[in-house]
This record gives sequence, structure tokens and C-alpha cells, in this order.
Amino acid sequence: MPEYKGMVQPVRATPEEMRKIHIEPVPDEQKPQKALEYLDQIRKKFRSFVMAMESCTKCGQCAENCHTYLGTRDPNNIPTNRAELIRKIYKRYFTLEGRWFGKLVGAEDISLDVIEQWYSYFYQCSQCRRCAHVCPFGIDTCEVTFIGRQILHWLGITPKLHASVGAAMEKVGNHTGLPKPGIVDTLEFMSEEIMDEFGVEVEFPVDKPDSDIMYIPSSADFLLNPYTLMGAGMFFTYIGANWTIPSTVTEAGNFGLLFDQYWTQRGNVMRLLNAAQELGVKKIVWGECGHGWRAAKMYIPSLADRPVRWPITHIHDEIADLIRKNELKLDPSKNSKPVTLHDPCNYVRACGLNENMRTIIRAVTTDFREMTPHGADNFCCGGGSAILFDDPEMYQRRILLSKKKAEQVRATGVGKNGDGILCAPCSICKAQLYPMVEEHELGVEVKGLVDLVGKALVWK
Amino acid sequence: MKLLIGQILPYITVTLFTLGILYRLGRWAGARIIHNITLSPWLQNNTQVAVRIGSEAFLFRNLFRFDLALWAGAFLMHFALLNILGGHIVGFGFLGEQFALIPFLGITPELSKEMSDLLGTVFGILLFVALLYLLYRRLALTHVKQVTRLSDNLWLVYLLVLVGVGNIMRLVPAFHIEYELVRDYIVALALFQPVVHMELLNSGFFLTHYLLVQILLIVFPYSKLMHLFGMFAERWIVNRVYHDPAPGLPNVDVAAARAAGIGVPADAAEEGV
Ligand code: HEM
Ligand code: SF4
Ligand code: SF4
Ligand code: SF4
Repeated sequence: MPEYKGMVQPVRATPEEMRKIHIEPVPDEQKPQKALEYLDQIRKKFRSFVMAMESCTKCGQCAENCHTYLGTRDPNNIPTNRAELIRKIYKRYFTLEGRWFGKLVGAEDISLDVIEQWYSYFYQCSQCRRCAHVCPFGIDTCEVTFIGRQILHWLGITPKLHASVGAAMEKVGNHTGLPKPGIVDTLEFMSEEIMDEFGVEVEFPVDKPDSDIMYIPSSADFLLNPYTLMGAGMFFTYIGANWTIPSTVTEAGNFGLLFDQYWTQRGNVMRLLNAAQELGVKKIVWGECGHGWRAAKMYIPSLADRPVRWPITHIHDEIADLIRKNELKLDPSKNSKPVTLHDPCNYVRACGLNENMRTIIRAVTTDFREMTPHGADNFCCGGGSAILFDDPEMYQRRILLSKKKAEQVRATGVGKNGDGILCAPCSICKAQLYPMVEEHELGVEVKGLVDLVGKALVWK
Repeated sequence: MKLLIGQILPYITVTLFTLGILYRLGRWAGARIIHNITLSPWLQNNTQVAVRIGSEAFLFRNLFRFDLALWAGAFLMHFALLNILGGHIVGFGFLGEQFALIPFLGITPELSKEMSDLLGTVFGILLFVALLYLLYRRLALTHVKQVTRLSDNLWLVYLLVLVGVGNIMRLVPAFHIEYELVRDYIVALALFQPVVHMELLNSGFFLTHYLLVQILLIVFPYSKLMHLFGMFAERWIVNRVYHDPAPGLPNVDVAAARAAGIGVPADAAEEGV
């Protein structure tokens, strides 16, 4: 069902697939009533949501600052209007203003059509938080999207993509369904690649007991972004770390953040803590994944069901720290093509990685050019929150959603000679940008940041 | 009419306004900050938090950064409003002689009254013009039109009428109202004395202005105007102090690792690749 009354929608998980992630779909005729019940339950919990519902003045500033509106010019993609899809229901049932004045203040009765609107527009938002960043009050429409998707999930409406990833994570511990033997094989292959290309011996220890450091790679790095994982392996080897990758959590992402912040997200958190305890590690280091890093850094403290005994940092934090201490010998001329940095939204607006990424990229490249705007002001790639749908209608949307990003990349001029590098150190950004740089003919190759570090390391 | 608007309604208004605000604040406090959704770059200490929230609340920092025209309109409107509200309190309270109370400036009571009049006139007109601009925006700019509900426009029209009536009393000598009349009325009201006979209430413009204000205050707690408090409640969630965990990897000695040539194949090490 890629369209409903003119609205694009991602393909849904079947009832069977929903049951695999422990949800019993609600029959259509009960959906409106249940949606209200869930909304009532959840609104009493999250103040961030209540404030988004109750303190917007409709100044309109968020409109021109959301890449989804810029790309599609669809009024429902204006952040405050996206929130309004729930707000109109919220007003109608849970505020005096809405009960007294109804239509005048935009209140509306719940119906299946409204729920279908939610499904369309909450899955066009990439939860990038640029709206919160620019709103005069800091109203975070991402919080509304989170809760909209949560309610949809409880009703049994979840994209096939997200549901299957949730199920794979529970079954094998990563999004791609890669089992342990496959993991070990792939890593051995990477060791060989590194030997061939860089002439150094790098081992990827899996489940090594009594390791000091547990590294959590993105599972996409095993298949789609091998140089990111190879770079991480080279880095840990270079510094002589006693490190390992846990076979039970070969996934930096946590799709729970994106569609189910209760069971799915919490389950993944506990899985991680179990692994850390079993392997006896001292510190956890995270790989390149934007939403996954946000989920780990900002949500583990409030989701863990027991005390978290391990400090958790991002691999960029550690690399930048060693660069500042002058402990890495790096040859930036190994990356001499023009390069620009796409700031993953989750890194710069939710995790404070802004400066560290720049410390690294300046140390490992010779021709670095900033986008405008960049850092915390940056625009999203359009794929955020894994709206990486491949069915034709949604794919067309993805092209529109990445339009602003394409303009930004073009303006830097890095792709003018067709040999530029677009550094996008987040697995979802990469997955979105690989096809999008082709669609927009940007003349750049998409790479991670650790990829560039691996290349620039001077071993002797 | 005089009895209703001048004598009875004010007490009801104050009660409803206070209870309404408490109700809304209580509602917000009932929901909690569950996860840490602080926006980065991180603020490092409470001084930075105060500066950020203060500059958003009093200077409209984000509007300034991302939409200058909106900033100009919104800031003018709110700044004029703030001064007018303040002016109502001190102007009526000190009968326009408030500036004479500032020590060492040597301002005479007469001069103070003139200043008070001038400021009131200027801000009254500014407020009206700024409101007009905000209404124009809502009707003319596509993206603002797309987020506007009927009530958003009505609020602006309502305020325009309210402010307009106020300006008429200030600008048209025939309808002008002396400060004393207002002060005496408020004092009497506060002392729960009868006020129906007072001269002030004979002015139709005053009654209109006063009624509009009271309706505004009664509806205030249930309306978008609550952003006055909402803004602080929201900022309190997204602008907080956060310190990154310290970087540094356990049992890592890069110099020793490099000296030992870890990763460099034995034969290559000899050749010095
Ligand atoms: C700390 C106090 C306040 C802050 C920080 C604040 C901030 C803002 C901001 C940023 C906007 C959006 C810009 C705009 O649409 O003009 C706005 C709109 C508005 N504010 Fe305030 N405000 C405050 C107090 C008040 C008060 C006390 C009123 C009472 C009448 C008020 C009335 C309005 C109105 C009517 C609008 C909508 C304007 C429009 O429709 O364009 N504000 N406020
Ligand atoms: S910027 Fe904030 S206050 Fe303005 S319309 Fe958007 S969400 Fe509402
Ligand atoms: S989170 Fe990003 S995509 Fe979603 S409404 Fe806000 S700005 Fe738009
Ligand atoms: S995918 Fe990348 S750019 Fe897009 S929201 Fe995530 S972090 Fe933002």
C-alpha cells in the first residue's frame, strides 16, 4: 500500500511480521479508539511531547528550516504541521481550548484517515531535530514523530523495513541478519584486504574474553561500508589496543529509537550490557551510526534496567583525543581529493560530536571544504530515522528529501571534477547518499570518516 | 454594564486567570523529562544555560539567526508590549511621576509626566504597527499561511482592536483618561469598595478596553498565549548542562605499540616500509 488517498506511505509489515516483534495488530474498526487510549497514556508521561502540543505559536520559522518541506513543498511536511496531525486530535480530546472552540483552533475528531496521515508524514520526518534547533522555544517535533510512530506501532502499523530490522536484531544481534560464522568470515576477508591494500597485519578479534575494549560496529560496515570497519580495525591495531567485537551485538544501530522506544529499544540496550559483562570489558566504543550513537549515548542511561558499569564513547571521540595528544602519525596527503563533511544530524544536534569530527578530518585530508550551513545548523541527508524505503513511490520521495543536501554539496564545488569525497560518517546517511549522489549527479564518492583515518595512518 | 464589567467581573477574572495558569503549569509538571534530549553543542555550566535561555526569551536569538524579518516584527511587538504592560503598572501607580523618583537625574514630576506620555504614545503605536505586520505575514507569506489556523489570525485581530482602543484614548484628547481616575479605581477595587459610581466607568472606550483585557486574561491560560510560560518549560528540557564522558582507552600505550611495530609484517618491518 504505497499510497493512501494521495499520500505516499511505506510498505507495511504483515500481521505475521508484526507478531514476530510481539505486536498483535489492532483491527481497523478499533484503531481510532485504541489510538486515543495510547495517546492518552503516553501524553501523561512525556513532557517534551506535552510542550510540543501546547506551546507552539505557529510562527512558521520551522517551515523553511526542514529539508522535507524544502524538498517536497508539502504543507504537512512543515514541522509544526506534522505535529499538528496529532495536535488536532490532542486538542480535541485533551484540552479545554479544543473542546470549547473546536475547529476554530484546529481541533478534529479521530478517524482512520487521520491515522493514515500519521503513517505517511511521521515516516517522512527523519527525526533530525533541525526544527528544535531553530524554533524560538526549542519545540522538538522529533519527539512528536517518535510518539506518533510508537502509537502506530502499537496499533500494528510499522514499515516492513523497520519491523524486519527489529526482528533480525532480536534473532541474531544485527540488522542484516548476519550470523556469527558470517561475521567471522567477513572479518577474515577484511584482514586480507587490509594486507593487500595497506600492507599491514590487522586482526579482528570476535568474542575475545577479557578484552579491554568492546567495539560496536554498524552491521552495514560488514557489507556496504567495509572501509569504515577496516579503518576501525587498523586504528585499534595501530594503537595496540586489547579489543574485541561481540558476536551478539554486531550492530551500532538501535531501530527501537525510531519506532518503538519501549520493548525494542530497551531489549537492545540490555543485550549490549549482557555482552559487556560476559566479555569482561572495561570500556565500550561505538562505531559510525548516527541514530545508534544517539540511542547509546543519550538513552542507555534512562533505559538500562541495571547500573551501567562501562563508560561508552564514540570512536571519533577516541581518535580525536589521540590526535590532540599528538599520538597518531597521520599523512593527510593520502586523502588529497577535495572532501566535504556531511554532519550527521544525530551527531551534531543530539550528541555533541561536532568539534571532534573536524579535528579528525582536518588531520587526515588536505582539501577539506565546509558546507553551508554546517555543524549544528546542518541539513539532514533525507534518509534519517531509516526512511530508506525502496518501493517506487517512497524512493521518489527520498530523492526530494535529499534535494537540500544535494544543493549544499554542489555549492562546495568538491564534485566539480567528478572526484570529490562526501564524508558522511553515519550508516543511514551512507545508505541514503550512495544512491542519492547518483540521482543528483554530484560527482562525489560517499565515505565514512574512519575510512579516511585508516588510509592516513603512517605505520612506520 | 458598569456593575458587571467594572465591579463584578474583575474579581472573577483574577480568580480564573490564576487558577487557569496553575492548572496548565500543573499539567506540564505532571508529565516528566524521561530521556535526555538536550540539544548539542552542549552547554557546560549553569551560567551558559542562563545566557542561552535568557537570550532566547528576551532577545529572540533563534528568530534573529534564522529569520530577520520575523525577528524584527516579533521583537518589536513583544518589546513594545512589555513596556506597555510595565507602563500601565508604574504609570497608573505613580501617576506618571515615576521617573522623578529615580535619584540624581534631577527629573521634575512635570518632565516625568511628559516622558511617560511620550513613551506610552510611542510604544502604543509601535505595538499596533508590529501587530499589523505580524498579521500581514500570516496572510501573505505562503509558509506562514500554511501553518496558520483561524484562531491565530483572530488573536492578532483581537489584540489590534484592544490596542487600537487604548491608542484612541491616548491620542484623541476628547477621550483621554486621567491617570488619577484609574489609580483611584484600582485602589478601590483592591479594597473591595463599591466602584460603580466612579467617573472612570462613564467612558465607553475605557469599558471596551477593560472588557477586552479581562476576556483576554480569562482565556489566556487555555490559549497559545501560554507560550509565555511554555517557552521556559520547553527550554528547560532542551537546554541543559551536559558533560561528555572522558575519552581515553584502557591499557593503551600508542608509543609502545608503535615502537613494537604492531601490525607491521615482520619482513616489511626489516625493509622499513
Ligand atoms: C517571555 C515572554 C515571551 C516570549 C519569549 C515570547 C516569544 C514569542 C515568540 C518567539 C513568538 C513567535 C514570533 C511571532 O509569531 O511573532 C511569539 C508570538 C506571539 N506572542 Fe509572545 N512571547 C512572550 C510573551 C507574550 C505575551 C505576554 C503575550 C501576550 C499578549 C504574547 C503574545 C504573542 C502573540 C499574540 C504571538 C503571535 C504573533 C503572531 O501571530 O504572529 N507573547 N511570542
Ligand atoms: S518554530 Fe516552533 S513555535 Fe514556530 S511554528 Fe515551528 S514549532 Fe511552532
Ligand atoms: S525532525 Fe527534521 S525532518 Fe522531522 S520535522 Fe523536524 S526538521 Fe523536519
Ligand atoms: S541519516 Fe544522517 S543526516 Fe540523516 S538524520 Fe541520521 S544522522 Fe541526519
